Amino acid sequence: MKIYLEKFGTTLTSRQAGKEAFSAFQPRLSDIGTNEPLEMDFEGVVTFSPSWGDEFLTPLQKEFGKRLILKHTENPSVQATLALLEKIHIIKFKRI
Amino acid sequence: MDNKDLIAIGEAAELLGISRDTLRRWDKNGRLRATKSSGGHRLYSRFQIELYLSDLQILAKDWVESATEISPKLYCPNSAIFQARLHKMERFLSRVRELESIFPLIVAVAGEIGNNSFDHNLGNWPDLPGVFFGYDIDKRKIVLADRGQGVLATLHRVRPTLETHAEALKVAFSEIISGRAPESRGNGLKFVRQVIADNPIGLVFRTGNAELILKKDKADLDIHGSPSNFRGCLAFIMF
Repeated sequence: MKIYLEKFGTTLTSRQAGKEAFSAFQPRLSDIGTNEPLEMDFEGVVTFSPSWGDEFLTPLQKEFGKRLILKHTENPSVQATLALLEKIHIIKFKRI
Repeated sequence: MDNKDLIAIGEAAELLGISRDTLRRWDKNGRLRATKSSGGHRLYSRFQIELYLSDLQILAKDWVESATEISPKLYCPNSAIFQARLHKMERFLSRVRELESIFPLIVAVAGEIGNNSFDHNLGNWPDLPGVFFGYDIDKRKIVLADRGQGVLATLHRVRPTLETHAEALKVAFSEIISGRAPESRGNGLKFVRQVIADNPIGLVFRTGNAELILKKDKADLDIHGSPSNFRGCLAFIMF
């Protein structure tokens, strides 16, 4: 399944909004096959910060592990946020 | 002074987003002096009002220290209004060619600091909820402030050994700790520190009687005493 994060907004910065986005996305999780990857596309996202990312990506990473795939982006706020989340949770996101 | 530049107290109050009574009080206590017309009415120069409005640091400092009246344009009483204004600032910043490669980081830094104020004071605002949020893109600065509990009071709950504002600032910007434990929070300021160390962005962050200065290529935390002591937080971002 491919998710375009832009659909949740282009300025993804607050915990509250990240939590709401995760809740809104929950029902779709059951549509993902057992071995199916979950791909996140950041295209169109302008600002991304750890508060939002931690509420949305961290729980997905815990559930999907290496099946969660983050598509490469040049956006510096996405890159800096992913680096921090990896550091604080001692995890490694799979990127393509 | 060119008479065409002079405006009446009503117009000045409107531009500043405050009441005429407040302006009269400010005239009496010297905060913003008026000149008098031949009929004795207070007059202000547009330039004087614009200058006052542009001095965001002073406006924020006065608000955080003394709860002075501020323009509604600079006050975000809740998180939803802050998010909307942050998004608006992002649009303005995105149009500045020289900031093309770093403006998302500037917005993310401002977002983390502003959101921190809401996240850590939700249900616990001592008096006025919300944040002061002003920016001047031409002067390359953003000012954020809150009249919340401050970093020390927030972190003291999860780290009772913390005694000073300087210690609390150090922990907030360097350790993975949450003022809302057991929730996993409190990473925003570490993000701010890292982004600033890697990019041409500067930060002055004050809380209580302590001040932290962060700038590019300075990995160490420069924490020292602040000229004033107040509850809450005050942040100046330069870029």
